[in-house]
Amino acid sequence: MAISDDPAYQPLDKVIELRLPSKLGYERVAMDTASSLARRMGFHPDRIESLKTAISEAVTNAIEHGNQHDEAMKVVVLLTARDDGLVISVADQGQKILPQEHTTPSPQIADVMERSDKGGWGIWLIRELMDEVEFTTAPSGGNQVRMVIHLEP
Amino acid sequence: MTASPATTMSMELTLPNQLGYELIARDAIAAFARRLGMPMDRVDDMKTALCEACINAIEHGNLLNPDLRVHILCHVDAERFVIEVYDQGLRRFVPPSSLPNIADKLNGTGSLRGMGLLLISQLSDESGFVPRDEAGNCFRFAFQRSGAAHGCR
Repeated sequence: MAISDDPAYQPLDKVIELRLPSKLGYERVAMDTASSLARRMGFHPDRIESLKTAISEAVTNAIEHGNQHDEAMKVVVLLTARDDGLVISVADQGQKILPQEHTTPSPQIADVMERSDKGGWGIWLIRELMDEVEFTTAPSGGNQVRMVIHLEP
Repeated sequence: MTASPATTMSMELTLPNQLGYELIARDAIAAFARRLGMPMDRVDDMKTALCEACINAIEHGNLLNPDLRVHILCHVDAERFVIEVYDQGLRRFVPPSSLPNIADKLNGTGSLRGMGLLLISQLSDESGFVPRDEAGNCFRFAFQRSGAAHGCR
């Protein structure tokens, strides 16, 4: 009998681990991998678009801020498929630790328009698009964002 | 399982040992290859070859054991796009005693399976198992980058 045929067998979480170069543009690989998994899990196309945007912002933050564009460093993306949804974790190697007060921004369009740098929307977008968001420290010591998107019945 | 220092760009992917996850790997590697400017027809070859290599690892190397993992290392330099698929080697690869015969398959006297390695060898520029001291099989296949639109971006 195969292990998976044993009624007492409890399978491990189905985790996909992706290690990407810290170079802008490679967030596309994370986006396509996550959307491929989400599509097969049965997520609605609108939710997949939200997922792609959120993961793009998280990986871009890891490349730009956490790893400071150091191409030798990796961004680690974990995708965990569960019966009730998809858990996404994005970790950098922490050249620059994200202060906790920066993890709950509420940018104002008028303020941003006055600045030459139009950035600063990433974390706000992630919080708007995902069902659960948590900022922690990765086991490697870097920054880690854990996002959950629920699979609606 | 890390890329050599001469490598200019690399990504890694680890998957559950379950049929179906090769499709996620396919989409991840295709996104990486597109990012590196590989021509679309070569990306298509790569996708088919990768699926076959992953299925071999899941079915034959890891014997469909759901507790095991398949690891994919993709490293790229100016000349070659190299993909290595590792299993955890419950069963060592043993070369078949004879090459698959397409005529036998078409006239129904041969198994319809067992074409994976032949397909990979036809689609890639080089392929084969890499001898290892550790447990597990490593299957490597590579594509020349002469037709790539850009260098490593």
